[in-house]
Amino acid sequence: MATDPTPVTLKREGDLLKIEWNDGITTTVPWKTLRAKCPCATCIEERKKPADPFRILTSQEVEAGAPLPLAMLPVGHYAYKIAWNDGHDTGIYPLTLLRELGDKK
Amino acid sequence: MNAQMPSKVSLPGVKQVIAVASGKGGVGKSTVAANLAMALHISGHAVGLMDADIYGPSVPIMFGLGMVDPKTTVFPIEKYGIRLMSMGFLVDVNQAVIWRGPKVAQAVQSFLTQIDWGQLDYLIIDLPPGTGDAQLTLSQSAPLTGAVVVTTPGEVSLIDARKGVKMFGEVRVPILGIVENMSYFEDATGTKTPIFGVGGGARLAQESDVAFLGELPIDPRVAQCCDQGEPIVRKYPDAAIARSYMALAKTVADAANKPTATALPFLQL
Repeated sequence: MATDPTPVTLKREGDLLKIEWNDGITTTVPWKTLRAKCPCATCIEERKKPADPFRILTSQEVEAGAPLPLAMLPVGHYAYKIAWNDGHDTGIYPLTLLRELGDKK
Repeated sequence: MNAQMPSKVSLPGVKQVIAVASGKGGVGKSTVAANLAMALHISGHAVGLMDADIYGPSVPIMFGLGMVDPKTTVFPIEKYGIRLMSMGFLVDVNQAVIWRGPKVAQAVQSFLTQIDWGQLDYLIIDLPPGTGDAQLTLSQSAPLTGAVVVTTPGEVSLIDARKGVKMFGEVRVPILGIVENMSYFEDATGTKTPIFGVGGGARLAQESDVAFLGELPIDPRVAQCCDQGEPIVRKYPDAAIARSYMALAKTVADAANKPTATALPFLQL
């Protein structure tokens, strides 16, 4: 439990989130992937439905463009909450998920 | 505040925030929390006790207090040198609090943020049983130093305590240790009779790789003192259980003062 890796630094590098972990591993993950994997209850429900082939982007999504974070704040000792440029901000990303989604180097 | 959007609470005057938890109800969390707070105070520390059990607050009765007029009372209320806050100060004992989860989270948040706790060495938080809203809110927004998990020796209590331990693991709140309450009854001849089984606390500590903080014996005076509004540690300081509590306070204080999980870094944009 105490040995689970924790981030030392988090950097925004353009389209990527780069995390340096305390076990020496660095992971990078595109913001786009993080937005698509939002772990909030609404998004999880949304992903369970079959994809709508004729989905029309909302004007908010069009205005926002590619998903980018406005803020990413720590939640307790175990997660981060990301506020996105499209206005969505209810996803709490546990450290284990951030680690899983990242490409390791 | 929106309950879904926990904001990080900072309590600048409070050195250590310790949650007293258990998966199961009725194992003596509130009794342990009250006596632990009292023992820490007797050991010379400035202590606060926050009752996060919104549905079933028991801090008021254990400290001989009741409902007050919130318009004329300044919280926290001080009794026996301990600063106290509880839902029981705001709602009549005969009134039920019938609330959904988000309201509970909100109440817990406001106990933390809207109350001037002042300078404290330890803020003890008496959690309700289970792994629900109050626990999650505190794990997300309170600067918890760690948690003390209370269990009784039997397997029925252990299966729930295990869930409590698991929850703190998932939200990465360090577990300071496990306390076994109601371990045995000691009669006048010194014979110890285990009432609820043997060794559960130590077993749980071992299997979850956390410290075992000790056993607390059964003493009928504990319940009596709770009902009469004065923790046993203060009323009968020479009782065996009072000495156990003083030892527990020291162990908890030592564990809490060891460096634990550091705060997560912020994103560099």
